[in-house]
Amino acid sequence: MPETDPFEREVDAWMKRFAALEQSPRLPDPNSLWVKAKLMQSAAAAERASLPITRVQVAAYLVVASGWAALVTWKWNALSAWINSFTPTHIIMGAAGEQTAHSLSLTFIMALVVLASVTVMLAFHTILAEE
Amino acid sequence: MTADALTLGMPFVLARATSGRAPKKPMDEAKFEAFYRKTARPIWSYIFRMTGNAATADDLLQKTFFRFLRSNPSIADEDHLRRYVFKTATNLVFDHFRESKRDRERILDPKGPSNSDDLRHDMMRAFAELKPQERALLWLAHVEGSSHEEIADALGVKTKSIKVMLFRARKRLAGILTKRGLAPEPRHA
Repeated sequence: MPETDPFEREVDAWMKRFAALEQSPRLPDPNSLWVKAKLMQSAAAAERASLPITRVQVAAYLVVASGWAALVTWKWNALSAWINSFTPTHIIMGAAGEQTAHSLSLTFIMALVVLASVTVMLAFHTILAEE
Repeated sequence: MTADALTLGMPFVLARATSGRAPKKPMDEAKFEAFYRKTARPIWSYIFRMTGNAATADDLLQKTFFRFLRSNPSIADEDHLRRYVFKTATNLVFDHFRESKRDRERILDPKGPSNSDDLRHDMMRAFAELKPQERALLWLAHVEGSSHEEIADALGVKTKSIKVMLFRARKRLAGILTKRGLAPEPRHA
């Protein structure tokens, strides 16, 4: 590379002409930029603040989903027999006094109630948080 | 990390990093407006010449100042803040090129030139033939009058490399201008 740049003067003149070409940008208003930037900062701060809550919420969804999966797997036979007992024949026979319906254990029903309550609470929390 | 690098990366710590004094108050709206009025037009021109697209220049200008405000700047040295804004704009332009990966095709305004814009169009075309980094180098050096150190900061390269990079960029532009018949007539002594 030579000590003096032979292209410097030529390029400098050209670049100056290039920069001087007419242009009329419509620059945004600084006040609106300021306000937008402040709003974005507030939104970012709110998002940062709510990040732990969002994480806990996702964890709660996973726990509830796993709970339902475990419950259904645990008592699938009893549950399917119980569901199948809701046929017109069984209902009529039940009304006639015959013991046809399959019963579920109290533990299972308690677990069902607890899990259903947690699911409803989580759903309410999600809906209210969205609003 | 040098004090300059610190100040370029985080303008809000400028006062403490360079002088040891207590940090100044963050920039208020009036100061921002004054700073914006001084710097917005040169920044827009820089982005526009780099991208060749007015809409992109508008968009990236806004992003540049959003980033600037997000950094919570304090006025200590306006020159440093100006350098920070140019560095931010450069990064955004390079990101834009990386994202689109079609900078060569998108370099000109989609509307196309009118007859009265022939010269402008030719000059834009010639400039567009350069690589993005070469465009930035030449603009900062010849239009903004930035020092080698300032250019190196903006482009994220070593100061020592700038001289060679500038030489190559000038040579390439001179070649393009000659090829396109845009080079100025040689002067006779």
